[in-house]
Amino acid sequence: MTAAHLHVESLVVRFGDRTPLDGIDLLAQGGVIALLGANGAGKTTLLRCLATVLRPTSGVVRVDGLDPARETERIEVRRRLGYQPQDLAASPSARVFDALDYLAVLKEHPDDRRRRSLVATALDEVGLWDRRGDRVGDLSGGMRQRLGLAQAIMGSPTLLLLDEPGSGLDPEERQRLRTIVAGRRTVATTIVSTHLTDDAADADLVAVLHDRRLTFVGSPARLAAEADGRTWTQVSPPEPSTVRASWLLPDGRHRCLGTPPSGATIIPPRLEDGYLLLTDPARSRQHMS
Amino acid sequence: MNFPPPRPNDGFHEPSIDPARLDANWRAISVELDAPRPSWIERGLRRLGLPATVTRPALATPSLRRAWYVAIALVVIIGLVAADPDDARASAFTLLFLAPIVPLLGVALAFGPDADPAHEAHLATPTQGVRLVLLRATTVLAISFVVIGGLALLTDVTRPLAAAWMLPSIGLTAASTAVMTATSPRRAVGLVGTAWVIVALIGRGAGDDRLGAFGPAAQAGFVAVAVVGVIITYVRREQLDVLRGVDR
Repeated sequence: MTAAHLHVESLVVRFGDRTPLDGIDLLAQGGVIALLGANGAGKTTLLRCLATVLRPTSGVVRVDGLDPARETERIEVRRRLGYQPQDLAASPSARVFDALDYLAVLKEHPDDRRRRSLVATALDEVGLWDRRGDRVGDLSGGMRQRLGLAQAIMGSPTLLLLDEPGSGLDPEERQRLRTIVAGRRTVATTIVSTHLTDDAADADLVAVLHDRRLTFVGSPARLAAEADGRTWTQVSPPEPSTVRASWLLPDGRHRCLGTPPSGATIIPPRLEDGYLLLTDPARSRQHMS
Repeated sequence: MNFPPPRPNDGFHEPSIDPARLDANWRAISVELDAPRPSWIERGLRRLGLPATVTRPALATPSLRRAWYVAIALVVIIGLVAADPDDARASAFTLLFLAPIVPLLGVALAFGPDADPAHEAHLATPTQGVRLVLLRATTVLAISFVVIGGLALLTDVTRPLAAAWMLPSIGLTAASTAVMTATSPRRAVGLVGTAWVIVALIGRGAGDDRLGAFGPAAQAGFVAVAVVGVIITYVRREQLDVLRGVDR
């Protein structure tokens, strides 16, 4: 089993007069890609296009060279795909096992024993086997997220698309999510959308979706390095117009991002600093002009 | 009961077992023993020889079972409304007029994001939307046929008329799946259902025979509607394979 090869070029999505995605390019095979962006940046739209459930207005999407715009090739792509939508949403009165078993049938696992074994393995992996007989409506938000993850990983897909899988999970569950995703690094190309920079820190690549485009694709360390020499602390509150962002630290000092004044105490940047500088509205305006 | 400790020269050896294989076998046994049983309807259909690939998509989700229950409840209501011992023709018209609407309502409850919260996850699977739509429409039609057919034979409706609602049912269901390729399932069913009510009432008022809308010529028309509906559904099947009406 080889991780799927994903090729996206000049992808555009328009909804009426709104263009949430305008010229997305991405090339990936294997590893974990964190798709980072603000709420409403278009992460869900991009994942839906890659999951073949939304047809882009224009551009190229290929999975292992297959074109989802063609029916037979789309079906073949879906055989390789595990997709967790943002709002998974099994019927509240369905039992956990049945909800997953049903999706396993749709994923073309006709043999009863093998299918039930796949369902059990997936439920076990996300820690829901003990809740197999419960109604979906009786699960907590975090458990429902895990059910969504279970249906996505079922059957060992080579392209795994997870839309905000960490939302609603407690720290222990987030750790389990990281382990599950990391365990598939070599056998699947995984894209995890998130608006939390902490979630992106463990990824092999970070893709920042901002201003309708992927404005950055690189390692987490490289994203943090975007803020090299531009992160500092100072005692007095900064003039808002001179910094991209600043916040008060527990020790009473101000952590600032932007162009440091002379004599400022420069500190090592974090991923979040690089992300905030990349998504600076002033920078976007420059880009537009 | 106390057993003596084994002697070293008993000849017993620790068997060589692959722990991974043992684990897999144990899991398989455990799954077979511990997995929840399917619903009674599904178990019944499986006993009749239908595979899980048919019964699960057709019945597993509560929204689909709801479609069944709604269909059965409506059938009972129709039976009560239609049974007029003083006017057999009026009974027949009521039955023939209302019966095709039952599978239509079932279809509206059987597909799409309104009916199925996991619709988006389904779309990303290799099972095509058109297959699900037709499978579920057929399921709802089948249950309607069995129940309404039995009811019609029990009432004072003449035998040929007892079957006269079947082709309209198939025609309307096929028409609704065709319209579904252009709009949401519920709106499609609303449009087709409204069109049916208008046509049936016009047919009733137009001629001397209030059952004119179910005569041989009309039946041929419903066959044509069914064929055209299935063709349109098949040609435009891609529309059932993607999310529609999203704006983010």
